[in-house]
Amino acid sequence: MIFSELYSAYYDTVARVLKAAVEHPLKKDELRDIIEKNAFGESILNIEPALAEGRWQLIRPDGSTPLRYPPSTPMTTLEKRWLKAVYADPRIGLFTDEDIFPGVEPLFTAADCCVFDKYSDGDPYDDEAYRKTFRLMLDAIEKRYPLSIDTVNRKGGTAHLVMMPEYLEYSEKDDKFRLRGSGCRYGDTVNLARIVRCEPYEGTFSRAPRTRLRPRTQKVEFELIDKRNALERVLMHFAHFEKQAERIGFDRYRVTISYDRDDETEMVIRILSFGPMIRVTAPKHFIELIKERLKAQKSCER
Amino acid sequence: MREFYVYGFKSRDEYSRKSARSYDDEKRRLESWLGDYMQFRQTPEGKTVFLSIDSRVSRHNPLYAAWKTKSFTDGDMTLHFILFDILQSPGTALTLKEITGLVDEYLSSFDEPRMFDSSTVRKKLNEYVSEGIVVSEKRGKTMYYRRAEDADLPDPDVLDFFSEAAPCGVIGSFLLDKADSHRDHFAFKHHYITGAMDSEIVCQLFAAMSEKRSITIESINRHKDRLSENRVVPLRLMISAQSGRQYLMAYVPRLNRIISFRTDNIASVRPGEVSERFDELREKLDGMIPNMWGVSTQSRSGGRMEHVEFTVRYSESEAHIHQRLEREKRCGTVERIDDHTSRFSADVFDSSELVPWIRTFICRIIDFSFSNKALEAQFREDIEEMYRLYGLGEVTEDDLQ
Repeated sequence: MIFSELYSAYYDTVARVLKAAVEHPLKKDELRDIIEKNAFGESILNIEPALAEGRWQLIRPDGSTPLRYPPSTPMTTLEKRWLKAVYADPRIGLFTDEDIFPGVEPLFTAADCCVFDKYSDGDPYDDEAYRKTFRLMLDAIEKRYPLSIDTVNRKGGTAHLVMMPEYLEYSEKDDKFRLRGSGCRYGDTVNLARIVRCEPYEGTFSRAPRTRLRPRTQKVEFELIDKRNALERVLMHFAHFEKQAERIGFDRYRVTISYDRDDETEMVIRILSFGPMIRVTAPKHFIELIKERLKAQKSCER
Repeated sequence: MREFYVYGFKSRDEYSRKSARSYDDEKRRLESWLGDYMQFRQTPEGKTVFLSIDSRVSRHNPLYAAWKTKSFTDGDMTLHFILFDILQSPGTALTLKEITGLVDEYLSSFDEPRMFDSSTVRKKLNEYVSEGIVVSEKRGKTMYYRRAEDADLPDPDVLDFFSEAAPCGVIGSFLLDKADSHRDHFAFKHHYITGAMDSEIVCQLFAAMSEKRSITIESINRHKDRLSENRVVPLRLMISAQSGRQYLMAYVPRLNRIISFRTDNIASVRPGEVSERFDELREKLDGMIPNMWGVSTQSRSGGRMEHVEFTVRYSESEAHIHQRLEREKRCGTVERIDDHTSRFSADVFDSSELVPWIRTFICRIIDFSFSNKALEAQFREDIEEMYRLYGLGEVTEDDLQ
C-alpha cells in the first residue's frame, strides 16, 4: 500500500523532531525550525500544536521526550521489493556491482513493464569503460574537482576539454546521460557515450569567461484546435515544460511553452508532429522555421 | 491535480465534474504541497489557477508530495514512535501484554496520559506485520512481536536516480526522505511526472502480474464521464517516454483480445483468481509487439494488419537522417535506397499511430503510402491544411527558391 501514513511527511517530520529531542530537550524555536524545514505548508501549522498540546504524547512540556533512542523504522516489504526491482535494472551497474535482499521478490521485472518508445541507440550501460567514467563523474561532482575529457564528435573527430562537472542529465527518451559542466569555453554539455577518455584534471583550473550553464530560455506560442483529442494529446506531450494554456474560443486554445534555445530544432519537430492541430503564432523566427520546412516539403512533392 | 497541471486553463466555474467546494479543497491542498509551482492568471472568465513545472529544473518529482499526506489519528502517531522505541532491537521479542504495559509507562510522564487498550495495540502491531516492519512469532500459545531486521539504505545516488527513472519511483522518494541530506547529482530531460499519480494503481497491477492473477478494473471513460468494469488478465505495463502516458496491456476474456487501458483512467483494481493462461497470453503479447508502434492492437480500417511506408530524401550534410530513422523506429525496417534516400516500411495493427512520427520528417518526405487509404488521404489533407495555415497554399516563386 503506497498511500500509508508510514510514508507521510508528518511521520517523517516528527521523526526528525524526536531525533533531536532524544539528544536534548527542545526549545520552541528549535522545534519550529525542524518542522518548517521538513513539513508542507499546512502541516507546519498542525504539528507544533499537536505536540505542544499533548495530542501526540511524544514531547513533554519541558521539550524532552519519553523515547530512549533516535526513532527509526525498518524498511517496509514494499520498499524492499521496489529496491529489488531497481537492482535488476541494467542501469544499476553504473552505481554498484552488488545485489540486494536475496530471497525478496522484486515488485516488477523486465517482463512486467517496458518503455516502448525510447530510441534504440541508448548508452552502453554494460560497458566497463562507460561505468568507470560514470562513477568518476559522480565522484567529481560530489567532491567538486575538474575533469579532463576527450570526446568524439559526430564527424568522428576528437575534442579535448576541461570542465567542472555540475550534474548528470538523463533523458529516458534518448536513453542517454549527458554531463552538464561549467567553466569550459567549448560548451557545457558532453554526451557520456562519446567520451573516450576522462580523468581528474591535475592542472590549475580557471573558468573560461562567458561560459554558461543555465538554459537560454525561449518561448513559443501557438494556437491549438481541439480536434481528434488534440487538446489532451498536446498538453500531455508538452507537460514537462513550463507552460501556460488559455481558452480563446469554443475549441481553440493558446499555449505558451518555455524551452531551452539549444533544443529549438527538437521543438520544431515536436510541433510539426501535431500537424494542422497547432499553428505557431510567435515568435516570428519560429514561424519561419516551420514555414521553411513546409516549403521544403512542398518542393519534395513536385 | 492532473487538471491543474496538464490543462491549467480552467476557472473555478469550469470544474463541472466537481462541486465548487471540492474545487476549493483541491486548490487549498495543492497550495499546501506545491505552492512554489502554483501560478494564477486573471481572465474574463475569472481567476485561473495552474501548476507550471519545468521538470528539467526540479530535481525531484513535486507530485510525490500527494502520496505523503495520508491522514491518521492522534493515537496512530503516538503509538508508532513508542512501539518502535520499545522494539528498538530485532533481538527484543515481547508479548502483547508486555508491550501494552510498556506503552503505559512511556505515557505516564504526561499530565493526562493517553490509554491504549491491548486490542488497539494488537491491531497496530498486526498492521505493521503486514507492512513487513514487525515480525510476529508464536511460542507455545503466546504471540511475540519484534522489529523486522533493518537494512541499510542504498547510496543516495541510486535513490536520487531511480526515484525519478523507475516505475513507482515514489517508493524511492519515501526512502530518500529517510536518508541524510545530500547534494542531488542528477537532472532529467524530457521527464514526465504525471505517472506519479497512478503509483498505487500501477503497484496493484504489478502485484497481480507477479501472482499471475486476473483482476477486475474499474475504468473511467472521460468522454462519456462514466465508469465501466472489465475483468482482465494484466500482462504488461507499457510506458511512453514521449508522452508520459502509461498503459496496461491486458487480455479481456469478454472480447477475446489483448487491448490497452490507460492507467490514469483506471479508478480501481480488484484482484481475482490466478489465471492459468497467464504465460500463454504473455507470449501472445510478445508475438504482437513487432507489429505494434504504440499500444494499439486493432486497426481502424478493420483489416488484420496495415502496411505503411514512406521515403525521405536528404542532402550530403544530413546523413544523420538515416540514423534518425534507425534509432527512432520501434518496429519495421529502414532501407537505404541511395546515398541521399531512405525508406521506412512496416506492417502494424494500427498505422494511425505512426502519423505523428512521420510528420516529424516533413521537409523531406518524397513519397508515402498507407494501405489504409482513408488514413493516407487524411495525412495528405493535413499537410495541405498546414500549408494553408502558414499562408503557403499557393505555389509562389519564393517557394521554389
